[in-house]
Amino acid sequence: MPIYLDHNAGAPIRPAVRAALAAIADCEGNPASVHRSGQRARRALEQARMQVARLIEADPRTIIFTSGGTESNNLAIFGATAAAHGRRKVISSPIEHSSILEPLTILEGRGFEIVKVPVDGYGRVDSRAILEAIDSSTALVTLGLANSEVGTIQELAPLAASIRSAGALLHIDAAQAAGRIPIAVDVLGCDLMTLSGHKLGAPPGSGALFVRSAVRLAPQMAGGPQENGYRAGTPNLPGAVGFGAAAEVALADLADESPRICNLAERLMRGLSESIPGLPRNGPLRDRIANTLNLTFPGVLGESMLIALDLEGIEVSMGSACAAGSVEPSHVLIAMGRDPQVARSSLRISLGWSTTAAEIDRAIEIIPRVWRRVAAAEGIAGVEATP
Amino acid sequence: MSTRVMVAMSGGVDSSVAAAILRNQGYDVVGIAMRLAPDSDPAIPARRSTCCSHDDFEDARRVAEKLDFPFYVIDLRAEFARRVIGNFVSEYLNGRTPNPCVRCNLEIKFDRLWERARAIEADFVATGHYARILRDDEDIFRLARAHDLTKDQSYFLFTLRQAELARTLFPLGSMTKLQVRDYARRLGLRNADKAESQEICFVRDNDYARFIANQAASAAGCGGNIIDESGRILGTHRGIHHFTVGQRRGIGLAASEAWYVREIRAGTAEVVVTRRDGLASRGLIANDVRFVAPHGPGDSPLRVEAKIRYRHPALEATLTMIAPDRAEVRFASHGPAVSPGQACVFYRQDEVLGGGFIERAL
Repeated sequence: MPIYLDHNAGAPIRPAVRAALAAIADCEGNPASVHRSGQRARRALEQARMQVARLIEADPRTIIFTSGGTESNNLAIFGATAAAHGRRKVISSPIEHSSILEPLTILEGRGFEIVKVPVDGYGRVDSRAILEAIDSSTALVTLGLANSEVGTIQELAPLAASIRSAGALLHIDAAQAAGRIPIAVDVLGCDLMTLSGHKLGAPPGSGALFVRSAVRLAPQMAGGPQENGYRAGTPNLPGAVGFGAAAEVALADLADESPRICNLAERLMRGLSESIPGLPRNGPLRDRIANTLNLTFPGVLGESMLIALDLEGIEVSMGSACAAGSVEPSHVLIAMGRDPQVARSSLRISLGWSTTAAEIDRAIEIIPRVWRRVAAAEGIAGVEATP
Repeated sequence: MSTRVMVAMSGGVDSSVAAAILRNQGYDVVGIAMRLAPDSDPAIPARRSTCCSHDDFEDARRVAEKLDFPFYVIDLRAEFARRVIGNFVSEYLNGRTPNPCVRCNLEIKFDRLWERARAIEADFVATGHYARILRDDEDIFRLARAHDLTKDQSYFLFTLRQAELARTLFPLGSMTKLQVRDYARRLGLRNADKAESQEICFVRDNDYARFIANQAASAAGCGGNIIDESGRILGTHRGIHHFTVGQRRGIGLAASEAWYVREIRAGTAEVVVTRRDGLASRGLIANDVRFVAPHGPGDSPLRVEAKIRYRHPALEATLTMIAPDRAEVRFASHGPAVSPGQACVFYRQDEVLGGGFIERAL
C-alpha cells in the first residue's frame, strides 16, 4: 500500500463515510418529491446539511450544497459581484486557489477592478493593504483561510468589521481549513464561506457554500428552486450525505486529531531535517494548518522527486497538475518571493486522518534516500548516490 | 527485482509497442512522456492549457494502464527550447539547414532523459526508434541500421557513444512497421493504426519560415538578393530562412527552366541559385565529428558510405580526419546538393561508424 501524503489534494474516504453511503445506497427518491421515497431522501439531505453546518457553527439554512469547492468559489465570486450593484472592485491575493483566481480574471475582463494584495515570505496576506484597498466601490473581499500549498492560516477576523462597514462582503475559502482548525462563521464574521467535501474524506463532487442570511447572491445555475433558489438542480444526495458524515467525524475528532497530526508532521520534519542538510520549510512555523509541510529539497527537481517517490510508494505533490499530468511550479511560492528554481524544487507533503506513525517512520527512511539518489542523478555536487 | 527500464513514450504506435514488448519480456517498465514543444499558438484564446491537454499523452497513458505499468509526464520544455529550438532557429538564420531530431536525441533523449532515468534507478532508457544495438565479442557496442530499412532511423542516432549505447534499448530494431502495427493490434492498442508523424514536432503545419520569423525578430530584416553563380542579381527574397540548399520550389524566380538553391550566404543575405547540374558536389567538410566505437579511425583514410540526409541513399565516400573532430568526406562520384547544418552519417554496410554536422560542401 502506498503511503498517501497528499491529503490537501483530497483525503481518502473515511470509514464513517462509507457506512453513511451504504446506508442510503438504495435511496431512490428525489428530495424535492412529495412521496415517501422523496421524503426519505429529503431527511437524509437535511441531516447532512445539519452536520455540515455544525462544522462551521452555522445555521443549517445558510448551507448550500454544491459540486465542490470550485463551484462554491465561483458561486460566491460571480454571485456576489452580480448582486453588488455599481460596486466594481474585488480584493483578493495572489496565493489563492485557481477557482478564485480564474473567476477574478474573468471579472477583470468584464471591467472589474481586481486588487491582489501582496503576501510576505510566509504566505501571510498584508492585512494593512487590504484595509487600505477597501472603499465604497468594493463589492467583495475573497481570501483563503488556510493556503493549500504552504498551509498559512490568515488572520481574517480583524478585517471583517471594516469590510462590513464599507458595505462589502467577505468570502472565505475554508476548503483546506475546515476540519483541521475550529471554525465559527460568526467569529470570523464572514458573509460567504466555501467548504469542500473530499478534503475532509468524502467522495469528490461534494461541497458547500455558507451564505449568511442577509446576503444577496445572484444564482449562477438557473432552474428549479432547490437550495433556497441559489443552486438549481437535484442535489447530489450521496455527495451531501458523504460530506455530512465526513464533517461530523472531522468535528468530533478535531480535538484529538489536531495534536496527533501536528506531532506526526513535526516528527517527519525533524526526521527529514536530520538526513537532508538545509531543508527549508516554506510557510510559517505557527499559524499554519499543521498537516501541511512544504519543503524545498536542495539540488533536485520536484518533478523528479515526485516520480521517484511515487515509485517507492510515497505519494506527495508539487504545485498543481496540468491537464497532461506534468507539474507546474507553485504560483503560491512564486508570490511568496521564491525563485522559480526554488519553487521547482519544492514538494508539498500533507498528512491527514489516514496517516499513521508507522507511515511517517517509513517516510523518514525513504524520502532522504530518494533525495540523495535524485540529487546524484541530476549531477548536484557534493551529493553521493545511494549508499 | 527485475531490471527497470524508462521508456520514452510519445503516444505513437512505435513507442507504445516498444514499451509493451519490454513489459512482456518481464522488464520493470516506467513510461515517460516528455513535454518538449512550447505552448502552441498563444492566439488560441483563454484556454490556458491547450498544449497540455495533449491527446497523444492520453494514448500513451492508456497503453500504460492497459499493460499496468507506471506512467508519468515530465516537462522538458525549457531544456528543449534552449538546446533544440534555439539551435534550430540560429542555424536557419545562419543559412544552414539543421536537423532538430538529431539535436533532440543528442541533447534531450539520451542525455537529460538519462538523468531522469538514474533518478528512478532505471538501468536502461528505451525508445521506439528503428535501429539496433549490438554488442561484439570484445564488449564493444555497435549501432546498426534497423532490419526494416524503410523505417531505419539510425541516421538520427549517430551521436550515441559507448556509454549511451550500453544503457539504451531499441526493442523495434528487428521488426518491420507492419509487425509493429500487428503487435499493437493484437494487444488492442487504440493507436495501432495511428498515422505516422513526419513533421518536426514543434513546427506547426511544417511552416519553418513562419516559425523562425515568430521566434526571432531579426529574421524579419534579413531579406536580400537572389543571385546566380556569376553574381548576377536575378531577384530578391524575404529572408534566408525561407531557403534550404537543393530547394527548387518557392524560390520566386520566373523562369522556363528550374532554379535550385546552391548556397546560402548568411553574411550578405544572398541566396545563390543554379541550374540542376550546378548542384553536384564532390564531398563535404563535417565538424563535431564523433565515432560510435571507443577509438576513431586514426589518420588513414577510411572507405565509408555517407548519408547526407535522412531520405538520401548513402553514397560511397572516403573519409579523412583533418582535425580531432573535423573530417573531409570525398564522394566516389559526384554527389547531390549538400546542405550545411544537416548530419552526415558514416556507415559501413549496416553499421553506423559515426558522423558529424556538415560545415560546407566541397
